[in-house]
Amino acid sequence: MRQGRVLVAGLVVTLGVIALAVVVRAIGRSETPVRPGTIDALATSRDACVTCHRKTSPGIVEQYGHSKMASASVRCQDCHEVKDGYPGAVAHEGTFVLAQPTTAMCARCHQNQVAQFQQSRHGLPAYVAYAGANGLTKGQLAEYRSIPEGSFAPDQSRNALAVLEGERITHFACATCHAIGAPAADGSSGQCWRCHMRHEFSLEQARKPETCNACHIGPDHPQWEIYVESPHGIAYHTGGDRWHWDAKPGTLTVRDFPAPTCATCHLSGFGSQGTTHDVGDRLTWYLFAPVSERRPAWEDNRTRMQSVCRTCHNQNFVQDFYEHADAATEAVNGFVRESQGIMAGLKADKLLTPAPFDEPIEFTAFETWHHYGRTAKFGTWMQGPDYAQWHGAYEVVKGLAELRAMEKELRAHHTNE
Amino acid sequence: MSEPLDLLWPRAAGARWLPLGRDQVMLLLAAVSEALSGLDAGLAHHAGTTMRGAAWVPVVFGPLAGAVLLVAGLVAFRRRTLASLLATVVFAASIVVGVSGAWLHLGRTVLPAAPPGQRILLDFFFAAPPVLGPLAFAFIGVFGTSAAWVESPAGSGRLVLPGRLRLQLPYPKTNAYFYVTAAGVLIALVSSVLDHAATGFADAWLWIPTAGGVFAMVVATALGMIEQPTRADLWTYVGAMVLLLAIGALGAALHLRLDLGPGGQIVPERLLEGAPLMAPLLFSNMGIVGLVALLPDHPAPASATIPLAAPAARPSSDG
Repeated sequence: MRQGRVLVAGLVVTLGVIALAVVVRAIGRSETPVRPGTIDALATSRDACVTCHRKTSPGIVEQYGHSKMASASVRCQDCHEVKDGYPGAVAHEGTFVLAQPTTAMCARCHQNQVAQFQQSRHGLPAYVAYAGANGLTKGQLAEYRSIPEGSFAPDQSRNALAVLEGERITHFACATCHAIGAPAADGSSGQCWRCHMRHEFSLEQARKPETCNACHIGPDHPQWEIYVESPHGIAYHTGGDRWHWDAKPGTLTVRDFPAPTCATCHLSGFGSQGTTHDVGDRLTWYLFAPVSERRPAWEDNRTRMQSVCRTCHNQNFVQDFYEHADAATEAVNGFVRESQGIMAGLKADKLLTPAPFDEPIEFTAFETWHHYGRTAKFGTWMQGPDYAQWHGAYEVVKGLAELRAMEKELRAHHTNE
Repeated sequence: MSEPLDLLWPRAAGARWLPLGRDQVMLLLAAVSEALSGLDAGLAHHAGTTMRGAAWVPVVFGPLAGAVLLVAGLVAFRRRTLASLLATVVFAASIVVGVSGAWLHLGRTVLPAAPPGQRILLDFFFAAPPVLGPLAFAFIGVFGTSAAWVESPAGSGRLVLPGRLRLQLPYPKTNAYFYVTAAGVLIALVSSVLDHAATGFADAWLWIPTAGGVFAMVVATALGMIEQPTRADLWTYVGAMVLLLAIGALGAALHLRLDLGPGGQIVPERLLEGAPLMAPLLFSNMGIVGLVALLPDHPAPASATIPLAAPAARPSSDG
């Protein structure tokens, strides 16, 4: 017996521990796991901010109490409090705070994420598209020009409609979405909280397509409607409640997301791709433009997107899809080019006033690319056939026919004069 | 206890083929472990991105401690006392770093302002940073200190500390190494169980480090308690340590397989955020420490077995 005493002791205790573990696990299966985010981490907090704001704005305290940041001991002051004289700071209860923490504050912990975001269409280009580049600091202007979308000609000037409608309207309209790239007084740009909503900063919320739906909806960029129609959207609506919305970034697999949301394809670390906060990082075309052009380094972007596609689809499927979608994009470009030719000819012949949006034909031309051309392209790339066809290409062709007729009428009218 | 290696391998009894003694190998191992633990902490803390404040401490300390220990090793050829002092300071600091880190990690499992009854829940341990991870530094500190303090006379359990201080252990140093090994395996084991708990242990592979860890820990503890181990005891111990080596290598391979992208592509983010590549190697590290504990204390060639435990040294009767 003495020969094997250590071996016997080792085996007996090992078996005992495993048996105990199995029992504990069996009991544990009947319980619902508790995560830090499900508990109010600030329930009994005596922090000055929490105590006061529980009375003045209890909603945000309730939200923040259930956030992962609160459970990780990130205090209100860590994001809001700044030194006296900090640009944009306001005096508040004996200290100085930023009412809306800027990306400079977020970057103190999330440096890479903010840098990627600021190099994207969601950065300054989104803001400039409705507000123009006037008012940007020298640094912000340089940042804007360094972004691929910032160097793209049609996007460098303010949309004339924003001027026409005026601040009283755009404040509730264009600005709501386009402020995602707004510059801040401290020289930083962008608003992380447009996607990571205050104050819960929930992974689930940021990953769900409803968040993107806040802006990517409607006649000019109906990505939400297209997604809902697509096989990906159908999978989300039928099985999304079983997906792992809180899975740790950088570890996602098809077990977590058997079908994609907007975030999966464009932003999440998935397949062989790492997480990015640059929404254009995997895109090959400037689809938002009247006539779409290839993005800089579009082949690299395509490789990145296709490697995400390849998580579920085979290479033949993906390649075939890209070839057909490229051809469809070129086809829409052809229609829009013709519409632009009509408008350019009328302008050159001084048959249009210099002012934008003061004649019906300008609205028709605008809608032809801005609403329907884009919709046709988005519908194509996101697999929404009804939007590629009836809400898109059909309307483009129809608009083009109307433009031809209007041109004819204008020229006839001019000749008669 | 007689020389374990001689009992294990009687045909090679008395042979001294290693240029270094056990303590010297242990110190070398401690130096490498410090540096690797620093690297592991750097990966876990996302060095260069979101790392702030105290998270830098182990990342800087690990390689620095490793370098200082290597220097101490060189100094030891001429000034043994100074080298011992240097190593003692480094290992004491390592214990402080490890315990402080564990305390800070533990803080993330506590929600002090949550409703009473929900402030500390077992589930938090699974979601928070690994509570026992930093204790790797403390463990290196302990086994490094054991190596730095020379046992004189051999097998007496009397350690010579810097400043001519003496510390009398209740057992020979070899046995102390077995206990230290058992403690290290316990850290690796509990850390592994907590890290894998979120998966519910649904994957059968996860039971291997659990069962293997318990076995190795019990075997090492038992060997520490036995005054005169038999050959069978020692071979069981060797088997357990080899098992730890295999578990570590297998774990690292399985973690790597999980972290690779489709088609085996390397995705840096998945390597950083996914299953930690280096964590399973703690088991291997323990296996190596455990095996090194069996080495002879003296590197110099000798013609006969050197008894370690002077008063109790007698040939094993049931080898």
